[in-house]
Amino acid sequence: MDRYEPKRHHNPHAHVIHAPGARLMHGVKLRYVWNKVSGHGHRSPNASLNLVSFIDFLSVIVIFLLMSFSASGEIAVDKNVKLPKAENVDAIIDAPMVAVNGNQILVDGVQAGSTRSIEELGRLQKIDELFALLKNKRELWKQVQPNKPFPGVCILQVDQNVSALVVKSVFQTAAFAGYPNVSFMVGKIPASQ
Amino acid sequence: MGGVDVDTGGKKRSTNSEINMVPFIDLLFVTVAFLLITAVWVTNSRINADAQVPGPPNPNIELTPQTPEKVLNLHIGESDFGLVWKQGATVVSEVKVPKTPMEIGDGDGKIIRYPELAKKIEEEWKQQGGHRDPSDKKLDQCILHSDNRTQFKEIVAVLDALYSPKREMKLGAETKKIPVFNMTFSVR
Repeated sequence: MDRYEPKRHHNPHAHVIHAPGARLMHGVKLRYVWNKVSGHGHRSPNASLNLVSFIDFLSVIVIFLLMSFSASGEIAVDKNVKLPKAENVDAIIDAPMVAVNGNQILVDGVQAGSTRSIEELGRLQKIDELFALLKNKRELWKQVQPNKPFPGVCILQVDQNVSALVVKSVFQTAAFAGYPNVSFMVGKIPASQ
Repeated sequence: MGGVDVDTGGKKRSTNSEINMVPFIDLLFVTVAFLLITAVWVTNSRINADAQVPGPPNPNIELTPQTPEKVLNLHIGESDFGLVWKQGATVVSEVKVPKTPMEIGDGDGKIIRYPELAKKIEEEWKQQGGHRDPSDKKLDQCILHSDNRTQFKEIVAVLDALYSPKREMKLGAETKKIPVFNMTFSVR
């Protein structure tokens, strides 16, 4: 910035009202302020910020977040279920969720049986509550979409420490209720190759 | 802020123009905030299985007796795995694979894997598998035999090994790599 050079006016009050200027500080007619911001002839205390690197940084974040964006959203997993992990997996699909933890069986959050009772009995069995809930869901789906073939898919969220007996019982009950295509929800681990 | 400087060199009106960067930075901030809020950090997937329930018979198609397909029976034992190919009740081949788990991590987050089993299953499929052509929509079947006390994480480790060998399949115009086997449980 240059030093302030006042213009000569005929009217002594003409500097009070004037047309707004386009440049910063040029409209300020106070000698002190002008000299202050221009550094009294020395280096100006005003520093301009380089926005290029800042915009680059923001753009990289936007691209990264867009790449990792999932339109399907997050699928709710029962907090008592610790899923096992696998490498050779498929993408998740929209289907009824059956959560199986160490104590109970839930269908979309509604209780549908007890894991303990299956383990205590010690043999494979049809779980009546689960069967009824899944059958109701199937009939509801058929009423809503009468012209489409029923896919018969359900997803099991099974805790990693649950025994095979419980898994087989739930699997078999789902098949009886009209869901022969059963998938197991797992955590994904990156491919080793 | 941002600008384009073009020196005209004369007394003409300056061709320098300034782009206001504030709305652009605001837009970037809003996009970052939206994507951060909607970000899904935990990615879950699924392993497919099939209960092998036959569909209702079609009255318009005459049923012709067919020779049963070869099916892989995978037995999870205490110290080894048994890979038994059966055609109906006839045992075609039988192989034992020692149980050598590869454990990743420790504690509750420990992951079990069976790379030796995955290799052996792939070799077996290359020898005995019946559905190899990319136009063939059917998959080879595998029946999993496990003890009732086996933990689910071990079953998933075996399924991970089972779904490791893949083949190409034509799905419409595109070709996809899909696992060669489809699995179901054995029950009495």
